[in-house]
Amino acid sequence: MARFDYLEPHTLKQASSMLQRYGDQARIVAGCTDFLVRWRTGVWTPQYVINLQHVPGLGRISYSARNGLRLGPLVTVQALERHPAVREHYAALATGATSFAAVQIRNLATVGGNVCNASPAGDTLPALLAFDAQCKIVGAESERWLPLGQFFKGPGRTALQPGEILGELRLPPTPKNSGSLYVKHSPRGAMDISAVGVAAAVSLRDRGKVIDDVKIALGAVAPTPIRAYGAEDMLRGQTVTPELIRAAAQAAQALAAPIDDVRATGTYRKTVVGVLVQRTLEKSIEMAQGGQVPFEVQRRLAIQTAF
Amino acid sequence: MVDFKVLEHNHPRIDAREKVTGRATYAADVYLPGMLACKLATSQRGHARITRIDTSRAEQLPGVRAVITGKDYPDVHFGSGGLKDRYIMARDEVFYVGETIAAVAADDEITAQEAVDLIEVEYQDLPAVVDVLDALKSGAATVHADLPDFQGFGFALGGDNVCTVLDADRGDVDQAFRDADFIVEDTFRSQGINQGFLEPMACAACLEANGRLTVWASTQGPYQVRAQLGLVLAMPASNIRVIPMELGGGFGAKLRLAFEAFPAMLAIKTRRPVKLVNTREEAFTLNGPRLPVTNYIRSGVTRDGRIIAREAYSIFDVGAYLGAGPNSGVGHGLGAYNIPNFRLRSYGVYTNKVYVGSYRASGVADMTFAVESHTDNIAHQLGIDPLEFRIKNALRQGDIAVNGATLPRNGLLETLQAVKDRLGLPKKLEAGRGVGVALCEWRSGSGPSTAAISVNEDGTVSLLTGSVDISGSDTSLAAIAAEALGLPMDQVIVARRDTDLAPFTGPSGGSRIVYSQGTAVQRAAVDARQKLLALAADRLGVPADALACEDGVVYVQDNPPQRLTISQLAAMSVSSRGGPIIGMASLSNMPYTPVFSTQAAEVLVDQATGQVKVTRYVQAQDVGVAINPMAVEGQLDGGVVQGIGRALTEDMLFDENTGAVRNASFATYLMPLAIDLPEIENILVRVPAEDGPFGARAVAEPPGFGPPAAIANAIYDAVGVRINEMPLSAERVLAALQGKAAEAIPLDVAALRRAEELAV
Amino acid sequence: MKKPLQLTINGELRQLFAEPFYSLLDTLRDELHLTGTKKGCDEGDCGACTVLMNGKVVTSCMVLAHSAHDAEVTTIEGLAPGEELHPVQQAFVEYGGLQCGFCIPGMIMSAAGLLNDHDDPSEEEVRLAISGNLCRCTGYSRVVEAILAAARVMRNEKELLTERSN
Repeated sequence: MARFDYLEPHTLKQASSMLQRYGDQARIVAGCTDFLVRWRTGVWTPQYVINLQHVPGLGRISYSARNGLRLGPLVTVQALERHPAVREHYAALATGATSFAAVQIRNLATVGGNVCNASPAGDTLPALLAFDAQCKIVGAESERWLPLGQFFKGPGRTALQPGEILGELRLPPTPKNSGSLYVKHSPRGAMDISAVGVAAAVSLRDRGKVIDDVKIALGAVAPTPIRAYGAEDMLRGQTVTPELIRAAAQAAQALAAPIDDVRATGTYRKTVVGVLVQRTLEKSIEMAQGGQVPFEVQRRLAIQTAF
Repeated sequence: MVDFKVLEHNHPRIDAREKVTGRATYAADVYLPGMLACKLATSQRGHARITRIDTSRAEQLPGVRAVITGKDYPDVHFGSGGLKDRYIMARDEVFYVGETIAAVAADDEITAQEAVDLIEVEYQDLPAVVDVLDALKSGAATVHADLPDFQGFGFALGGDNVCTVLDADRGDVDQAFRDADFIVEDTFRSQGINQGFLEPMACAACLEANGRLTVWASTQGPYQVRAQLGLVLAMPASNIRVIPMELGGGFGAKLRLAFEAFPAMLAIKTRRPVKLVNTREEAFTLNGPRLPVTNYIRSGVTRDGRIIAREAYSIFDVGAYLGAGPNSGVGHGLGAYNIPNFRLRSYGVYTNKVYVGSYRASGVADMTFAVESHTDNIAHQLGIDPLEFRIKNALRQGDIAVNGATLPRNGLLETLQAVKDRLGLPKKLEAGRGVGVALCEWRSGSGPSTAAISVNEDGTVSLLTGSVDISGSDTSLAAIAAEALGLPMDQVIVARRDTDLAPFTGPSGGSRIVYSQGTAVQRAAVDARQKLLALAADRLGVPADALACEDGVVYVQDNPPQRLTISQLAAMSVSSRGGPIIGMASLSNMPYTPVFSTQAAEVLVDQATGQVKVTRYVQAQDVGVAINPMAVEGQLDGGVVQGIGRALTEDMLFDENTGAVRNASFATYLMPLAIDLPEIENILVRVPAEDGPFGARAVAEPPGFGPPAAIANAIYDAVGVRINEMPLSAERVLAALQGKAAEAIPLDVAALRRAEELAV
Repeated sequence: MKKPLQLTINGELRQLFAEPFYSLLDTLRDELHLTGTKKGCDEGDCGACTVLMNGKVVTSCMVLAHSAHDAEVTTIEGLAPGEELHPVQQAFVEYGGLQCGFCIPGMIMSAAGLLNDHDDPSEEEVRLAISGNLCRCTGYSRVVEAILAAARVMRNEKELLTERSN
């Protein structure tokens, strides 16, 4: 718990040059929900804390059918959960958001903070991965884009170079006849970090009989959130059958390399990820076929207490 | 049933308004001029000698006002339960990770913390033992080499780490086992549990100008803190004044001296008020959770389903010190059943972990898990319905309880019947769902209890007791006084507690307050009432037995207009021969009054993940008389939810080498949340107790005993697997469903039996 | 070093000094002596420190004081003006939704936040809204009952007001 100075830049460039000036003595914060816990336990000891909350424009959510979803890094998890376009077109992201902690924390925590914290268990991350999110990375003098899948480098490590800040997330539009869901496994119905998390996004054709495209992302079973590409390949273009879904779940399970920790053993996680992939796929397909499932039902599915 | 005016009616808590407006003052809310902040330095070793401790750099930090170590205290051991095995702050040796080795007083918390980080310590490691079953083995590392020298140490059977042994025997248990048609044996293990009170312990201390020490504490036991503080500071208890503040949950963790001596000593050294507020981490690591209990139970049963023999060995891991006193296990090895032959043994064993405190009848929840799981196991093996098996073997009035007392009138059978009726048992639920039952037993608590009631000139009465309000006890005590005096509730003022003002009383815990303290209040109220009637009789010129006392008025029963109000009597008393009216009572031991509860859980098991969800929970408890039904139900709700947490998600995890707590946080120690729970259905059974205020029994503790076994039994009913280890986590259930045998619990009962033969 | 900070607390503009690393919770308690908001864990896991900040329920231990500059904060002390209790507070008293009381300020603020947004919540929604508030005493049953009762009272009051103005 070391003392620090508090700075509030008014532009991204200003923030970026502060970061560059202070180097590893500085840390960017937004909602502070990760920062304060680690600061109080002495894990993070910056001398300068740089809060982005007054940089204009970073809290915007915008959606269009043509361009998809744009999220500023300061969008709170609660805002994400509530947004009608997110609920309608990116349900897995809304359910990821709703399964996150509790309302008090959701009102503070930001999607940018989640992404940059790069926890393998982050609840919004599998959905962002499944929706092929792109990250805009802003430096003092430059800007670049990176797929989210390349942004995560390891537990707590990202592709951000010194002086760089996450400026925006963009998710492409989702196709018609699609459905998605995030399901997490945890002991309690709120507050817990996932022991396992799965997001699936499916779009169908031929009157809902054939899988046109599918994305599956797994959380808390590898050093970073990961896509289950092998399972996706198995499903793409195929007719939906229970056996196929089961096989895909097993394929996804094989990709998981979970560790033992205070929340669960690796063996248990490996079993559960297969179960969750199967259930998440089944539900996503149902939603893609039949349409509306009320959000409170999606929430019950997401926090695993209905099963 | 008696028609009560005040009892058996719902009353809002008398302190409700302060609490809902945020004005109730807890210990951390105390701010005094010039107050300093206190932070603690703690041991990072599980067992070591302190070879060097250097506080000079800490002392030199600007803003630091004093630094103390164990050597600043008198060389005095203290302890609980008669065994004095600890120093208040480590001197030369540390016995667990988290033990306090130094304390700092500084201008603010961050400076105090920076100073703590500047304290230099060197250790020489000593052999440590973390697992309690390892600690029992011969050749295990010795936790306390000085154990035989500790004041209060009696004897031990086998092994250097056994600090207490309790036993209970009756009949000829070995012969009864030979006579039995079936023998069933099981071993169970229950986990370390944290009380999880929302208010971290806090204490402010100030040395007054007259040399007395004032302490504002978060405590259930102000007289106990006063006495133990006097001991460790080598100061007469009368020199210390303890003011218990509003208590934000204790559940037993705050019954005794915890760390009040640290701000106290710093206040003495700095001559300024000092406040210490525990962090949440310290609430896990510093003092007094519950530690694992291992239970071996063996029963001999006749063909027609009568239990005739019981042998039980209960091993209580107590951690580094016997913090909570001798374990209560041995009294509960029989459960609520009439078993004529038994041998029960209960061991307290040291390990190098944080020492145990109390938690809502500590040890009994662990015993109930074992006994009630075992009971179901016997029933299933015999092919008898588990509820009918319980009815067959249950204690009845007139039977002799394990403590030798004759069982008085009670509602045990009514509670079994109530649950049976409510749930429509026996019943078979659909796949993956099951129902399980647990029968719980406890006793109403005793201990020194005092009360004084003085009649005020406006017709109100002031109630003075030393007991700290937990579970709404102030409201209940006020209700008892009001009922006895014929007054409405709002005419009873409950005075603030302060060891200088109120007469000595035992701590608030162990189901003592309503039953024992409540009896003292009732007697004091009756005493005051008699004096009121005597005075009224004198002034009205009628015999006292012609008078009634109701609604604040004493009147002649045959001629009500002939009356005097209590207010008038109070004014008259001032100049009367007897003087102002004060009713008093003091008692130390109450007769044995059992409390019984039957509980049942319906569960849904996710057979693919092992996750267990409680879908319905019913409990029927014999409360005798419900002083305040709303408050009684609140206790029943809260206790069951604590039990559900214990059953499914709570688990204190310890590093297997150092004994350090691995999950010292609410993020990783998981207590139930509102979304996790079904409605709790409470059935109040009323078989008035033969003793106790108006027939009320203790209420607060049995609710927490039932959920582990009720849920374990429901899991068995649902999916046919028996989990003997707590918590009943998804991982354990899934492993059992997959057919994996659970790891054997390595309790060597044969060695314990042998050790006893040697001593005999 | 303490730096100046201003924010509106319970309707009143307050100007004070706070260290950069103080939380909003520490500032409320230690600088402003508004001790109704409680510190249960200081890591966002128990909800005892819940306040309304710019209309949203937040755990004040997770808010840096200086990030609340110019914010509007409501604490338990400011929930009801004067001596009258807010319907949520009144309901907690009547329904016995409290025991030791330590979680209660935070619990009431979470309830008030819910009912500001949502005047007819289901029981599930109430339970979700307080799932960031740990309670060890009540088992939540009477807390939920009290919040549902308060919702009814507040709906009736609103109806009466609407009727009167029509």
